[in-house]
Amino acid sequence: MVLELQKPRPIWQIMFSTHHTDVGLLYLILSIAFLFMGGTLALLIRAELFFPGAQVIADSMTFNRIFTVHGTTLIFLFLLPSASAVGNYFVPIMVRYKDMAYPKLNAIAFWMIPPAAVLVWLGFADFTWYATPPYSIISSPGPAADMWIFGLKILGISSVLGAINFVVTILKCKHPDMSIGQVPLLAWAFLSSSLIVIVAIPTFAAALLMLLTDRLGVSGFFNPAMGGDPIAYAHLFWFTFHPEVYVLVIPAIGMMYEIIPRFSRKPIYSKSSGIFAFVLLSVVSFSSWAHHMYATGMSFTEKTVFMLGTLAAVPASGMHVFNFVATMWNGRIKFLTPMMWSIGGIALFFSAGAGGVANAAMPLDFTTHDTYWVVGHFHLFVMGTIAFGTIGFIYYMFPYVTGRMYNETAGKVHFILSFIGTILVFFTQHVLGLYGMPRRVFDYPEIPEWIIMNQIASVGAMIIGVSMLIFLINLIHSAAKGKPADIHDPFGLGGKYYYPFESKNPHH
Amino acid sequence: MSETETVYLTSSARVGKMMIIMLGICIVGGVIFFSMWDYWICCPAPVVEMMSGAKDAAEQGVATGKTITQDLKFVESADGFSDLAFNALTGEPGHNPTINANVGDKIIFNVENGGKGFHALGVTSDEEGFGGIISGSDVASAASPLKAGQTGSSEFIPAKEGTYYYICTVPGHRDLGMVGEIIVGESTGPAEAAAPTGVSHDLSVNFVESEDGFSDLAFNALTGEEGHNPDFVVNSGDEITFTATNAGKGFHAFGVAASPDDFNKPLWGSEIASSSAPLKAGESGSSTFTAGAPGTYYYICTVPGHASLGMQGSFIVE
Repeated sequence: MVLELQKPRPIWQIMFSTHHTDVGLLYLILSIAFLFMGGTLALLIRAELFFPGAQVIADSMTFNRIFTVHGTTLIFLFLLPSASAVGNYFVPIMVRYKDMAYPKLNAIAFWMIPPAAVLVWLGFADFTWYATPPYSIISSPGPAADMWIFGLKILGISSVLGAINFVVTILKCKHPDMSIGQVPLLAWAFLSSSLIVIVAIPTFAAALLMLLTDRLGVSGFFNPAMGGDPIAYAHLFWFTFHPEVYVLVIPAIGMMYEIIPRFSRKPIYSKSSGIFAFVLLSVVSFSSWAHHMYATGMSFTEKTVFMLGTLAAVPASGMHVFNFVATMWNGRIKFLTPMMWSIGGIALFFSAGAGGVANAAMPLDFTTHDTYWVVGHFHLFVMGTIAFGTIGFIYYMFPYVTGRMYNETAGKVHFILSFIGTILVFFTQHVLGLYGMPRRVFDYPEIPEWIIMNQIASVGAMIIGVSMLIFLINLIHSAAKGKPADIHDPFGLGGKYYYPFESKNPHH
Repeated sequence: MSETETVYLTSSARVGKMMIIMLGICIVGGVIFFSMWDYWICCPAPVVEMMSGAKDAAEQGVATGKTITQDLKFVESADGFSDLAFNALTGEPGHNPTINANVGDKIIFNVENGGKGFHALGVTSDEEGFGGIISGSDVASAASPLKAGQTGSSEFIPAKEGTYYYICTVPGHRDLGMVGEIIVGESTGPAEAAAPTGVSHDLSVNFVESEDGFSDLAFNALTGEEGHNPDFVVNSGDEITFTATNAGKGFHAFGVAASPDDFNKPLWGSEIASSSAPLKAGESGSSTFTAGAPGTYYYICTVPGHASLGMQGSFIVE
């Protein structure tokens, strides 16, 4: 068996192990736990917005704290760790090395996450996941805000350590017989996203320190009262976090590259174009950050440059979508749960991408800026594409991790409900934005269109909530009592796997 | 591959143990989190105090006159943030009482926190912000405020004529309404009323909006239509009862101000609702006040930005 929760060892031995699959397992459990915690906050937000006025949340400050931690949790404590989980499990096996390049560093990178999560969750800061200055400097109460800043600092370091580990593992530790072109696409995805992390994160790390010293009053980088400029923070933040979007999406696409050929029972249509598109995406991810700031009074030239830079991501994304469709074409597709999640993810990736093109066009951006359109757009990406790819892959890994099969029917119901819910929530939010509803609001005026669309979105969110409950029960029940899986071919697909039963990396 | 190798499976016991560990972490974390709910957001950033301390505060004067005792109680609206005030909420009698004193009088404040949040008192001559607190006039501070039910006292002796403000020194609370005036000496500002004339007027306006809700805002009728932003003319000292009705879809509030830009400085207690607790669609409200010194004033929508979109009219005092 490849993945070895199954070894009858005490739990503390797994926790303090440095073996890549053990660390991967820890990442996986942590990320799934935070998926549910962050999702609960999302349901609270949607319940609050079901009607205008205050419903379930006492006041706007609490509402702000909830959506701040919702965003921070799902990005930093679900999406990033779940990608690391998959990478830890599969990258060493795919490059045929016995472990990650630096096993102890790997464990350290994981164990930095729980303290950071404690800081973020105990403090429950209220300044949005963007830590909007000057609010975050002069108005946001401590120690919550300072705890968030330190938490994010730690998470950033953890990401960089993990990324260094992936890059070294893939480039220096791959089997000597294997050329870089032979490295599977999932490993390529981790190589690309890790390179982005290494280049992008330090900027935000600097911005966080500046934010902290601004709060302490020893500097005034982003504090207008002391001659600072909040827009400078916007640049530093988005220089990190626009590429970060690609850090999240590239591994999810890599996971789809793993699932789609397998379940289509065909080789990938064009591996080299997949590699090329990954590299292209990681380069152009740095050419688009200022499209978040069209409305801040940039010059026409700047806006045009960043509009073109943003649109440069379209061909690369299109190559991936084309590759997926061409792989499925004429394949003997087996519609099991992981495949359904991947196909749903591709469809929503395409929709979100289309919305993104509309957003990138800077004249249109002025209409949609800071409205619910933006909320709908990025949620369609992070939920519809990234989380769909990741959840599909969690189903795919499940038999390898536990030795048991998940419940196929429950998995399909989970997908169908989530797919419907996602469309209801986030497509509606696009329209809501066009009707002018601003984002990050606790209350809204009683405009009939706003009310009905908020209610549609809230119902959609509850449908996702129900489907996620099914997912949780399925995971727990199947891990405890599921049918034992045929470990050589759990999905009955035939053909060869990258990670056959016998390629287990021994413990050390 | 050795076919004899055992395939290990996860067991119910193992999964159960894992769930217990995770639930335990959540419960312990939840207890810590909720038991310290107020602590996590108790302290403003250090920069707040440094910024407010950067200005030179006025000084206490020398006591030469009479002693005035003023009881002040911090009160909050039910939701705790939309309206903050001293003694009584906006619109109720005894709201933010104005203290009249002369130079050298000793004003003693007896303060009680009658709300749920944290508050602190101070006297400043600054027209906005929470800085410039005169030393000795403060009860508690933003960093260690009065908690609900706590009391304290302080004194203030004005050193020169002018207008001082007693405020809540917790950042933001002054803007939400926790501010009252201390008028010192014979000084009469433009806002001061002449002798009451005994004449009273009943005036009313409607807030109207263009179809899209933002391109044109006005009182009574849109730009170009008859009855658009009517002028009102009254005499100084007249008692005026203003009724404002929100006939649009957005949020509005009413006030008479010295300039259309002064949406945060309505005069004479003329305000109806406020930008933080506005009139919603269809709601109406009224206020009664006495017109002050002669001059041209403006009645405006006090929601920021609305006056500049057209919700302003002349209010002439003769």
